[in-house]
Amino acid sequence: MSDDDTIDPADRGKLIAAEYVLGVLGAEERREVERRLAQEPALAAEVAFWEERLGVLADAVAPVTPPQHTWSQIEAAIPAAAAARPASLWQSLAFWRGFGIAAAALAAASIAALAYIGLVPATRTPLMATLAGTSGQPNFVAAVTATGDNLIVVPATLLTNDPRAIELWLILPNQRPRSLGLIQPGQPIHLTIPPDLAGRLTADAALAVSLEPPGGSPTGQPTGPVIASGKLTSL
Amino acid sequence: MDADATRSQLAAALVRVAGGDRAALRIVYQDTCAKLFGVCLRILKDRSEAEDVLQDVYVTVWRKAATFDPGRASPITWMVAIARNRAIDRLRSRTGGGRLEPIEAADAVSDPAPAAVERVELAQQHQRLARCLEELDARHASAIRAAFLDGATYDELAARMNVPLGTMKSWIRRGLLKLRACLER
Repeated sequence: MSDDDTIDPADRGKLIAAEYVLGVLGAEERREVERRLAQEPALAAEVAFWEERLGVLADAVAPVTPPQHTWSQIEAAIPAAAAARPASLWQSLAFWRGFGIAAAALAAASIAALAYIGLVPATRTPLMATLAGTSGQPNFVAAVTATGDNLIVVPATLLTNDPRAIELWLILPNQRPRSLGLIQPGQPIHLTIPPDLAGRLTADAALAVSLEPPGGSPTGQPTGPVIASGKLTSL
Repeated sequence: MDADATRSQLAAALVRVAGGDRAALRIVYQDTCAKLFGVCLRILKDRSEAEDVLQDVYVTVWRKAATFDPGRASPITWMVAIARNRAIDRLRSRTGGGRLEPIEAADAVSDPAPAAVERVELAQQHQRLARCLEELDARHASAIRAAFLDGATYDELAARMNVPLGTMKSWIRRGLLKLRACLER
């Protein structure tokens, strides 16, 4: 393939990411870029830059409604929910330890949370959630008391110096997120669950944490980035 | 509902998909399938192939939802990237890499200004990109748009716009470098 010699070699290295996103590379070159993406964070960041910037060009494409049967075929192709994800918190913990990230801090937070729920007589199955960021790094451990109306959130890693407020959300199936209140990056915090939600914290629910303006989300819905999330798991 | 709420609702649905929630995937599908089908169809120019790829896209979304970072990418942009990658891979895997329809005349490629932006959330970014594209040589900008929308290779673009391959590469590469400098300003 003939190349343009007048382009600076340093620029050529960056160009490959743009060419990949633009879609001008052949099949073999695309595979080569994808192989490198897993190992080269700088290249991955460059690809993300172009995906975000060039992505808006897709606005020029008219939407076309796909045929009705497409959804049922997708549904048939994805595994049943129960089989799709790690079954227990402990499997998840082992998974994260495998990465060697903050394992000690996570273990300490888990023990603190377990000690807390252990103080309450067990009238129902206790629930826990490990809230991880997208890197898989656990940021918080949350435990629901056996009475179902209290929640303790323990930070597992020193999270951020970000001045924004950290807000905890309950995500129930088919519903908009509900705020459970603000939490702290540096200390365990105890939240009272609103009475209408107290019975709804089940293994179907998930918790998520977002960064919000001081004082919390002005809209009642997450407005900033979701920095950690995880499903509630029965112990 | 305003644009931020739409975006955060889609992001929240993706978070639930990451947790294995099939109902959430259905919400994501309903909100985005027409957009993504349009993107696949534009690249593949073939309905049945585009349908196949669309299924594959949502199975990929199901598997990869945990890698979506709402702090770094908009949910729709993340999904458009998956759809384009799948459609382009399918296009390249066709025997001989050929297209199903004849290559259009060069003047048909000078893509019109982008249609009205349907999602306000991206309007600002869209304006910025449009402004930066305007700073480029018109032919370079036109080649970049055509490459993105149709997933065409350098060879195809060179044939379409009737210039040597080396010229097309140079147009697009110079255009991309200039675009990057402008977008970073």
